[in-house]
Amino acid sequence: MKKLVLMLSTVVLSLAINMQAQAGNVETLQSEYQAAGAGNFSASNGEKMWVKNNLDKKSGKQRNCQTCHGKVLTQSGKHARTGKVIEPLARSVNSERLTDIKFMKKWLKRNCKWTIGRECSAQEKGDFLEYLKGQ
Amino acid sequence: MVQPKKKRVWDLPTRLFHWLLVLAFALAWATYDDSRHLDIHTISGYTFFALLLFRLVWGVVGSHYARFSEFNYTPGEVLSYLHSLFGDGTKYYIGHNPAGAWAIFILITLGLLLSTTGLIVLGGEEQQGLLAGYISFDQSEPFRMLHEMIAWGILTLVIVHVSGVIIESLLQRENLIGAMFRGTKWVVGESAMVPAHRLIASLIFISAIIWGGLSLNTYLISSDDQPYQPFKGPSLAMNDLWNEECGACHLAFHPSLLPARSWQYLFTQQENHFEEDLMLDEETLSELLNYARENSAEKNKTEAAWKINRSVMKNERPLKITSITYWKEKHSEISDAIWQKKSVQSKSNCGACHFDAEQGTFQDSAMKIPD
Repeated sequence: MKKLVLMLSTVVLSLAINMQAQAGNVETLQSEYQAAGAGNFSASNGEKMWVKNNLDKKSGKQRNCQTCHGKVLTQSGKHARTGKVIEPLARSVNSERLTDIKFMKKWLKRNCKWTIGRECSAQEKGDFLEYLKGQ
Repeated sequence: MVQPKKKRVWDLPTRLFHWLLVLAFALAWATYDDSRHLDIHTISGYTFFALLLFRLVWGVVGSHYARFSEFNYTPGEVLSYLHSLFGDGTKYYIGHNPAGAWAIFILITLGLLLSTTGLIVLGGEEQQGLLAGYISFDQSEPFRMLHEMIAWGILTLVIVHVSGVIIESLLQRENLIGAMFRGTKWVVGESAMVPAHRLIASLIFISAIIWGGLSLNTYLISSDDQPYQPFKGPSLAMNDLWNEECGACHLAFHPSLLPARSWQYLFTQQENHFEEDLMLDEETLSELLNYARENSAEKNKTEAAWKINRSVMKNERPLKITSITYWKEKHSEISDAIWQKKSVQSKSNCGACHFDAEQGTFQDSAMKIPD
């Protein structure tokens, strides 16, 4: 019986640790970016980048992060092409945001490419996260 | 002159059978060309079938005039009866006359064929009902036409039957339609004893109410989001990764909506996915592609899949579901005003009208065009 309890608790504990490692938090990701050469992060730089227009040559239209995420981060946005609702980015209203490292990495990569036309630097990504953390 | 006496000729179960059959047929007819109401059509069909099966039993154990043996006339008797209609010596029948009797036998036979072909089409085309899983789409296709032809045959016969009843009513100077409600006729001379069979009739009546209530209660508890409960067939294979990856930007279109070669092509060009770069890693790509291959349109897992696959040329590999001939035809009657509605906006927004778009089943009944 004792053995079983020990085994079970080991399983539960390792699962918990595993989940923690998978999800991680936004600070862990930011320190990862710092390890990759970024300096201190600035929310105001992040915000400037967030609203800065970029011309898409193919469509001739201006794009910025608000194109899909909307002007108010506590409200939901809309995918520019398909119209699919995008849940609010602000973690003050959406507790799932900024909790999953893999998810954050994937979308920072894809969305930089779509919006700016290139992948963002570690510094830029960290700045975006710094800006979003305060929302 | 012998005075006619009011006697019961049709017992209660026979009358109930008759009018419920009329109701079931009328409901099924009213909903046959409207896939949105396939559920009502099917429920009426099952009711129709059950009533006929009851009648087969009642034709053996029922009261005197309800028994098949009582109106088992030869073709010769039918001819001489029809002939006598034009003469003056019309023979009087208390129960069914020979022509009416034959109409009944043919109606029951056609009705059973109608039910059977209906079950085959339902099983094959919708993968629903008693025969779901036993019949493929291709196998069921000819039965659809047959089902329609039989229904038209029945309608024709119904018209003949009603005309006959009217002619007989005039000849006998008695409202025979009323007799099918009341159960009684004015009888000259001896007639057989007919009990009412109230208990059996009550059982039929209660079963019909319960069955109707259970089948249609969802219409009573409907709301704007869920106007009725979709008539559900088997559910399709789902994949969490697929729903997460595809569903992030648009409806996670079920793999059954495109042929495998389309999915293959779509993923090999992932860096130009409708002007976006999907950036999926190898592992993710291969899981998505496997799921797509196993459930693609060729697997014929839904009616939509089967019809989409049929309408795509073998040398084509469409990337847009909306570019497929079947899709275009199926949506040709939808006006621009509806497409531009705020709740719709995009042709890729299947869920605006199809409640089961995420499940990929695209049931006929799980659909409502917004007002």
